[in-house]
Formats: sequence, structure tokens, C-alpha cells
Amino acid sequence: MSVQYMPVIWNRNKIVYDAVLLIAVALYLYVYIRVGPAFEDVTRPIDGAILRMRAFGSCAFLMLTVILCIGPLARLDRRFLPLLYNRRHFGVMTAVIAAVHANYVLGWYFNFSPTDQYVALLSSNTNYGQILGFPFEAFGIAALLILLVLAATSHDFWLSFLGAPIWKALHMFIYAAYACVVLHVALGALQGPGDPIFTALVAASVVLVSGLHFVTGRMEAKRDRGEQTAQASLQEQGWVIAGDLDEIDDTCAKVVTLSDDERVAIFKYDGKLSAITNACAHQNGPLGEGKVLWGCITCPWHGYQYNLADGRAPAPFTEKISTYRLKLVGSTILLDPNALPPGTHVNPIEFGGDS
Amino acid sequence: MSWRQTKDAPFFVGYLNAVPKPLVTFLAVFSLCFAGGLGLAALALSSTQNDPGNGGFQWGNRFEHVGLLELRPYPVLRVPADGDTPARTYMLAGQGKRGVFEQAEANKGSPVSLRGVPVNRGDLTMIQVGGVEAAEARFEGGFPSDAVPLGRWKLTGEICDGKCYAGAMRPGRGLAHKACANLCLTGGIPPVFVSSGDVKGRNFFLMADSDGKLLGDELKPLLALYIEVEGDVEQLDDLMVFKADLSTARVLK
Repeated sequence: MSVQYMPVIWNRNKIVYDAVLLIAVALYLYVYIRVGPAFEDVTRPIDGAILRMRAFGSCAFLMLTVILCIGPLARLDRRFLPLLYNRRHFGVMTAVIAAVHANYVLGWYFNFSPTDQYVALLSSNTNYGQILGFPFEAFGIAALLILLVLAATSHDFWLSFLGAPIWKALHMFIYAAYACVVLHVALGALQGPGDPIFTALVAASVVLVSGLHFVTGRMEAKRDRGEQTAQASLQEQGWVIAGDLDEIDDTCAKVVTLSDDERVAIFKYDGKLSAITNACAHQNGPLGEGKVLWGCITCPWHGYQYNLADGRAPAPFTEKISTYRLKLVGSTILLDPNALPPGTHVNPIEFGGDS
Repeated sequence: MSWRQTKDAPFFVGYLNAVPKPLVTFLAVFSLCFAGGLGLAALALSSTQNDPGNGGFQWGNRFEHVGLLELRPYPVLRVPADGDTPARTYMLAGQGKRGVFEQAEANKGSPVSLRGVPVNRGDLTMIQVGGVEAAEARFEGGFPSDAVPLGRWKLTGEICDGKCYAGAMRPGRGLAHKACANLCLTGGIPPVFVSSGDVKGRNFFLMADSDGKLLGDELKPLLALYIEVEGDVEQLDDLMVFKADLSTARVLK
């Protein structure tokens, strides 16, 4: 959370996160360029420019794979949640590595010619009508452009300027970038002489990314369809049965699905209950998977906080989220499914102490 | 799996320095696996790359010969026999991705002294021309000899740009090299057909169209693919010329 856009607000976690990233990437490049060639079985060493472009290209591909796995992994096991924090740094670094790869390609394959490098890149192969020999460079360019736009708009300034829904929609293009990268590789490098290890890595990446998203998608769908889904249990003039008091741990929440795009988090704390929308105003993070810290609801993604009774971020912050009315009948929690305007105060329901 | 937060579950807040202990262990193990996994992947990918061949510039073996420049239809230097050394025909390329049509046109039919650097891969030699000067020389005995027709052949293989394949950019073949090869051929580098079988012991051929003229854009869709194509083969000293009938070309894979 911040009230002004500082270039970087560093803390130890960010430094450690970035350090691990940098070490891993540096290790990959060092091993690929310096160590690996010593074990090659070739008549002459691979040309340096080609070795470097392969190293940076494959590194960007693997980094993109890991980035896309972090989301579903964090849904499956909340211990992966810290990897979401600063995932944008991961993305920016991937864009830089991909740009270096492109630069080596331009400086090698599209250089040494009277034709301008960029003109050569776009005009050398225009056989878009055939699959074998398709200009796979086009997919690489598309992916790189997407990665660069996402990297340039990753800062919270753009999140605030564009608003969370547009920013989020824009950053979903990461999947288009991944698809382009897979096609770039499949129609290019994989069409060369058989390279079983690279082929296996690309196939494993596609299976992993698709598989994890499929599993988490099914998990979410199951949750939405579940017996406890309050959508189907309207009672008492539109009030919805949200569950039992004992289902919720103290300082934690239960998430109730009202419709495909509306979920409500009911928090239990200090003998009270409050309900707010599940979507954080920052990046639509799942607030209901957060906790109450220092009397505030705390988002598990980036730690954005809101007061329980009115859904307003504590001063001097200004974010606001929708609140909901609750009722307690015995130990059954009832929820009014009509969202109140963001920041509306609702008296918490008291049930007489911690349970 | 749970989407319901529990009281005892460790909770990470990024802007706080304190990280719950169970998460520290988990994240440390993950970091090690992440970095180690990338390192292993790099080793596996880097150490198993395909052999790009042994082609390359022969910087220590500068080329300088007196001969005749001919367009067949790409520029070649024809060097007469000398003692036990039979006559030879060298394919020519310019610096970078350029041909040497201008020099060949300017010196057509008169003896020249040509300097350059050979780019060599097995039997295939392409000369990167450094300089061409008029030379005082007399060629006796019917030199240059006529091309010897070797009949019609159906060849399978790949159309490459002769300079990259010879070793300027190894491996210089395959789909990953297609755009570069296109750019080279546009710049005037002679195309060569690298055949999977041989004709009189040779498996690369300087290419021309079926009339023995320059190939144009019709080559582009076939470049860098494994194809089958028919055409007439003729021998020019030690160089094979393949007059490919591209209307018979078929992409095999």
C-alpha cells in the first residue's frame, strides 16, 4: 500500500525475492553459455551469437512458464502465495531477457545486409500461407511486444490510472504472449533436427501450465457449484444462508459465492462478524483468503488493508470496497446479497465472544 | 486445497520483513529447487545441442587466384588447370549478405586476379571476395571448358544460401534459418541445393532455374524445407550446377 507513487519501496522480502531471481537467471545463463558447451559432442563449437540467443530465448521461455504456474499453485497451496508478491518483477525480468534474445537474433541473422535490420526482420520471410516455413519470428515479435507493454504498465501507477478491471484485462494478455511463444518455438526451433530434451521441456511446460490452470479452474467451478453455494438457498426475503458460525476460524473468513463474478467474504473477529466483497480494490486479490491483522482485513496478495465495518482502507489510504449486511439466527449466518456502495458502514454482528 | 483461511495457517504479508517460519523453510526449498532446476535445464539444453557442422571461414588460408569471372548464372571464378591441379570453379559471395554481380559484370570475359577468404564445409567452398583486379594472363587449351551435361535427376534435400551453409553462420540450414537464407539470397548470395544423395560424389549444387537463369521469388516458399525436385545437372569443372525445375518441387516434411 502506498499513498504516493515512489519509484521503489524496498524491503527485505523484495530484495530476497529479486536476489533469488537474479541468481537463478545468472546461473542459467552461465551454465548454458560457459559450462554446457564443455559437454557438447560437436565437431566445432556452436557460434557464440547463436549460443547466446538460444540461452536467453530458452531462459525467457522457462521464466514465463514459472510465472504462469505461480497463480494456480497459489490457489492449490497457499504456501505459494509469497511468490505472487513481486511477480511483476519476475515479469519485467522475463521481458528484459526476451528482449536480449531478440537483440542477438537481429544482430546475427538480420545483420550484415544492405537491408535495414528491422525491415529485414519483417520482410525476409512472408510465407504466411504455409505451416512448414511459417514466419515464426512474427509470433516472437508479438510475444515480445506484449511482454514489453506488460512490463511498462506493471507499476501501481498504471493500475491506479487504468483502474483494476482494465489493468487486469490488459495483463491477462500474458496468456496470449505464452501462446505466441509456444508457437514461435514450435514452428521454429522444434522444426530443426530432433532435439528431444528441448522438445520434452516445451511439451512439459505446456502440459504443466495448461494442467495447473485446468485443475484450479475445476476446483473453482466445483466451489461455485457446491452445496453450500448460497445462491440457491434464498430465505427470509432474499437473505441467503451463508453457513454456520463454527465454520469460520477467528480472524479468518468464509467466502460465499453469489454469482460467477460476485463473492462475499464473511470475517469473524473479536466475537463479531462483518461481510465485505471478496475482491481487493488493488488487483482483485481474494480478500477472503486473507486474515485480520491489526484490526484490518489484509489481502493475501499484496497486504492491502481495509477496516472491517466500512471496507475503507485506514487513513491516509483511500481505497474502498463494498460491504454487506449480515444477520445471525442461532448459529446460522444470513447474508443480504445486495452489495452496499463501497465504504458504507455496517454495524458488525456480535455473537458474544471468541469461539 | 482450502480456500478458507484458518487461524493457524502461516500468513505472509509482503511489506513486512517478518516471514512466518514454516514459510521460510518452504520458500527456501522452493528457491533452491527453482535455481537448481534452471541450472540443470541449462546444462541439459546446452550440452545436447545438435552438431552445427564443421564449416567456417578459412582466415588462415587466404585465397588468391587468376581466372575468369562468369555468370552461371551466379558469379563463379573459373581457374585453369595448373600442372597436376585440374581446373576448378569457385562459387563467389561478397562481404556480409551480398553477392558480387557488379564485379562479375564489370570483368566478364577478361582475366582477373581475385582475392578473398574461403568459407569451407567439406567439398563446398564459397569465396568471400575481398578484391578483384584485372590481370595479365593468357589461357591456353580451350579454357574455359564447356559445362558437361549429366542428365536429368530427381534430388531430395534442402535449398540453402551457399555462404551460411558453407560456414558463415552454422548450421546455416533448417527452418530456423529460413529468414536469414531469404535475406542472403535477396542480397545476391548464390543458392545451393544440399542433397541427401550424391551425383558423381557431390551432394551440393549451385542452383539455377530450368533454363539456367537466375532464380527469383519462386524459390522463397521452398527455401529451408526438405523437398524433392527434378532438374538437369551439369558439371562445371569440379562444381555441379542444378538447373531445377521448380514446378516439380514437392515438400516432403
